[in-house]
Amino acid sequence: MADSTRDAWDLLPAYALDAVDDLERRQVERLLDTDADARRALDEYREVVAAFTVESAPPAAMRDAVMARIAAAPGQARHDDGTPVDGESSAAHDDGTPAGADVVPLDRARRRRWGLVAAAAAAVVAVAVPTTVAIQATIEQNELQQRVDTVAEMMADPSAQLLRSDVTGGGSATVLVAGDDFLFSANDLPDVGADSTYQLWLVGAEGGVTSAGLLDPQEGSVEQLVQDVDGVGLAVSVEPEGGSEQPTTDPVVVLAEG
Amino acid sequence: MSRRARDERRGTVRIDQPRSVGHTVRVPSPETTPVDDALVACADGSPDAFGPVYDALAPTAYGTALGVLRDPDHAAEVTQEVMVEVWQSAAKFDPARASARTWVVTLTRRRAIDRVRAEQSRRDRDQRDVDSTLAARDRDVVSEDVEQRLEGAAVRRCLDSLTGTQREAVVDAYYGGRTYREVAERLGAALPTVKTRIRDGLIRLRDCLGVNRG
Repeated sequence: MADSTRDAWDLLPAYALDAVDDLERRQVERLLDTDADARRALDEYREVVAAFTVESAPPAAMRDAVMARIAAAPGQARHDDGTPVDGESSAAHDDGTPAGADVVPLDRARRRRWGLVAAAAAAVVAVAVPTTVAIQATIEQNELQQRVDTVAEMMADPSAQLLRSDVTGGGSATVLVAGDDFLFSANDLPDVGADSTYQLWLVGAEGGVTSAGLLDPQEGSVEQLVQDVDGVGLAVSVEPEGGSEQPTTDPVVVLAEG
Repeated sequence: MSRRARDERRGTVRIDQPRSVGHTVRVPSPETTPVDDALVACADGSPDAFGPVYDALAPTAYGTALGVLRDPDHAAEVTQEVMVEVWQSAAKFDPARASARTWVVTLTRRRAIDRVRAEQSRRDRDQRDVDSTLAARDRDVVSEDVEQRLEGAAVRRCLDSLTGTQREAVVDAYYGGRTYREVAERLGAALPTVKTRIRDGLIRLRDCLGVNRG
């Protein structure tokens, strides 16, 4: 066995612990590329390292944040991912590169998808306005005027974005995002029964969610204006009657910016 | 993994796939767990398929990140990144090589340790210490902490089978996010000595835990 090969074998346990520097990492990975026995040995060491893990419950809000992020990119990165994948591959390649490589196409996919949506924005928004007005007719006149003004302003904002998605279970939802204001609307929502309610959530940049109120669709349609809030999007879940502090079910729709 | 992705993968692989080579045939793990299966299914599944996988593995990722970073906020950020990565790269998960749990631990440690080292080098670069949460954490109060955290874990009993110096080196590398070079510096021991201690320590743990992949 050549010295360098033996060195790399000796480094395998340290490599499994991520206790090697970059140069050594490459040295070990060259060995792994060509030697199935080394890969098997590494797999065993990794299992040993994993045995140290003491599980710990992550913050509850993280689940929705993660689900929202993956729902926002259902196509996934892997389909554009032409990177060669050998036995070793991204499970643990150099300096965290696999993660970066995965994240980039994801962002690209998301922009592309929402770019298309934005192109269709004008038409959809034109439809949305009369609905808004109709529903708002049930509230105080001055409040109505205020809301209409807000919506008009939102639509005049050149940076406004329209996000649209189908709702799991039926129907579709749209959110118009302009600055700190969100205009949510949904149509064709199925009835969830008297014991349940649709609840709207504001998704924060850090992944936390806060309630943006209960939704009471009339004939499957509902609109809600959420103003002056700090968030990257909205989500809806079906909650027990009266709503929940934090979502207790998976969202039926997530409309969020990257 | 889609057939297309699998075929493309084959096309770019230079080395022999473990299962296709005579004398290195891998004995697949006796059985896959439901989590392994669920993660495999995510490769072509809808985001909904990821819910149960998240529930099963997020505590593993968070616990691992916490072990290395010892700061709940940093650990939460790393965990979130890892869980999104798990979903994105589900097609790369190979149950013949590792359980889903081990795979997630590997991904998490890599990211957590990258973060420790990035903080470290930023601190070295910039003495003003902008974000001190990681930099300031005491990386030397490791050992006592470990005893507590591992209470009840299988590895605890096995750690007792190590020599004092092996144990010290392994634990320091595991929790400190240090390279063995840094471990050697810290312990005031020669480099080859520490490398050997870590190797022999892990081998002993492997045998004690009964880890054997063929």
